[in-house]
Amino acid sequence: MNAIAGVEPQGLDLLDDESFRMVVRRWIEAAYPAELRNPPKRLHWAENRPWYFKLAEKGWLCPGWPLEHGGMGLGPTKQIVFTEELERHGCARCNDHGIIMLGPLVIRYGTEEQKAHFLPKILSGEHVWCQGYSEPNSGSDLASLRTSAIPDGDEYVVNGQKIWTTLAQDANWIFLLVRTDAAAKKQEGISFLLVDMTTPGITVRPIINLEMHDEFCEVFFDNVRVPRANLVGQLNKGWDMAKALLSFERIYLGSPRQSAYALTRLRQLAERMNVWEEPFFASTYARHRCDLEDLKALYGRYVEVLKRGQPLGADVSQLKIIQSELFQRITETMLEVAGENAGLMEPMEGNRNLSPAGQYIQARPSTIYGGTNEIQRNIISKNVLGLP
Amino acid sequence: MSTEAGIAPFSEDRAESIRMVRDSAAGIADGVARARALRFSLPGFSADVWRQMGGLGWIGLAVPEAAGGSGLGVAEMCALSEELGRSLVPEPLIGAALSAALLAAAGEAEILPRLLAGEAVVLTAWQDRANTLTPCTDPSATRRFIAMGAGATHFLLPVGDQLQLVEAGACEATHELTHDGGHLTTLRVPAGRAVGKAEILPALDRAALATAAYLLGGMEATFALTLDYLRTRQQFGKIIGTFQALQHRAADTKLHIALCRAAVEQAAAALDAGAGADEGAAMVSRAKARASEAAMLVGQACVQLCGGVGYTDDYDVGLYLRKAMVLAPAYGGAALHRARFMALSPEAEDA
Repeated sequence: MNAIAGVEPQGLDLLDDESFRMVVRRWIEAAYPAELRNPPKRLHWAENRPWYFKLAEKGWLCPGWPLEHGGMGLGPTKQIVFTEELERHGCARCNDHGIIMLGPLVIRYGTEEQKAHFLPKILSGEHVWCQGYSEPNSGSDLASLRTSAIPDGDEYVVNGQKIWTTLAQDANWIFLLVRTDAAAKKQEGISFLLVDMTTPGITVRPIINLEMHDEFCEVFFDNVRVPRANLVGQLNKGWDMAKALLSFERIYLGSPRQSAYALTRLRQLAERMNVWEEPFFASTYARHRCDLEDLKALYGRYVEVLKRGQPLGADVSQLKIIQSELFQRITETMLEVAGENAGLMEPMEGNRNLSPAGQYIQARPSTIYGGTNEIQRNIISKNVLGLP
Repeated sequence: MSTEAGIAPFSEDRAESIRMVRDSAAGIADGVARARALRFSLPGFSADVWRQMGGLGWIGLAVPEAAGGSGLGVAEMCALSEELGRSLVPEPLIGAALSAALLAAAGEAEILPRLLAGEAVVLTAWQDRANTLTPCTDPSATRRFIAMGAGATHFLLPVGDQLQLVEAGACEATHELTHDGGHLTTLRVPAGRAVGKAEILPALDRAALATAAYLLGGMEATFALTLDYLRTRQQFGKIIGTFQALQHRAADTKLHIALCRAAVEQAAAALDAGAGADEGAAMVSRAKARASEAAMLVGQACVQLCGGVGYTDDYDVGLYLRKAMVLAPAYGGAALHRARFMALSPEAEDA
């Protein structure tokens, strides 16, 4: 907790939104390490921890957490402004699973002991979290997960395997969905468990993706003993708790930021490749811009739902589909414009802004993660359109 | 089940005013039977309904109260147009509202009250060619593509920097039927009576946006019919709405509609909030581009999802596609509006 001593984030909420934006902007511009701007790949803990600690020292690590737990206590609008400013400056994403996923969940469902133990350790950077949800045979059908936690004395014994665990090699704690009742209906036998990654029996194996990056891992559990006190919320209620966080994820994944960033890069590439005068390019670019502006308009309508403190409906899946597919189309145009440069591993001419292949490859998983777009379409047809 | 995507960018008061306008539409916009019955006839709309519309204050909905109108905004006009679009209402309300706005801006006070009351039908003959957003001001040019011109009592023309009014009976007019059951009129016009000056482009933008809203209402209605079909039609012993290929096509259709609503309502809110000339026009262009394209995509998807039945004239989904064929290009199609959006909307600094 020393990291945040002497800082008083109180009062930020009293500023009007635009003043708040300028305060945040000025601080980020002064504090953010220049060499980490617009990193071409997701950074590892060793690379982004200086930034994590800068945020922590300032007391600005957890914008959405209440003040009493060491957060900034910002309302939805200011949280969005804060995120926009980070993105505007090209700040790297931290190892933020503790901040955006676990913290809010513990605050909502955890015991007083759990809050007192885990929240300060996120703020201090002592605990770096990763998320253990997907399994090799439970991807889109997440509720079929089989990693088991069997009670044994004061402990659970965990066996199984997780996959697509983002930055697991950087983490020292993992939050898991585990099966605690094999006989119940699949959604009803799942619990939420916190596991120290240094416990014997855990193996982490990085997966190299199409970017040649080891962003994801497999995590194996072989008779891993976990204190019963590490269960969050009620036994067999883990699915409902995890689901409560997913609609937040869908609006996050529906934020226009990726597409906006890609469109800026496309513009720079178009300058370099001298294609502005090509009629095909002009009309394609105009279409992307209109698509982006319309997405922003739609996104704003969902932000308004959050601002009013109302729950997001299933229709927020629309945003995720529209955003990710636009992001992909923009990067596909990049490849077309790039010509023979399309396959280059490294940015063209050493200019980070001219990286058509990098952007294209990074856009591929956006229609897969966070629930594939096919799953999102299933959700819309069943829960929004009322199809059987 | 919500049909709204998130929350529209209107204040509480505005939202209430919009709800009242929507409710007031129910009496006239109550299904497509009336539109179907009037198809392929001249003038193709009802003089009685026209007077009713006048009585409800619709023709002058967005005309200032000082000029005899209802003094409401673009958002209300769009909501009304959307309701009319659901029922494919054939009366030329959007074209007449354009004329009313111009006459009011010009300070004309003779024909305007009759137009607002639904006693006259004044349509603006601003086009001399297809695929343009630029009004023709040449007095000798043949005016084209005037929707429902056979029912007009007067035509309003930009001539030089003036507006001229001519009686319909004094014009040489031909009418070509269109796929929606209406018609487009071509006019040779004698010299008219000058009625003052008005800026025509902002008024055309409001007509373009109202047309986008009309298309949006049509999309919602044809999609609702299609969803009913998917929920009831059986093949292979199953409700066809259980098939994932059809579910995903339906979900994609919903996305087009959601984006269209977001664009249309954002533009309406911006115009009502007094957006700058270029900014407002750029938003209208984006909304009309989206609506023109989405209406075709949605119309096509609905015909496809309803299979052979969707291709019959008896089934209503086809009416909406054929309306979209006529209205997608009206007041400028998608390509024209996207190009105008790009011209009017410089990009922000590079991130």
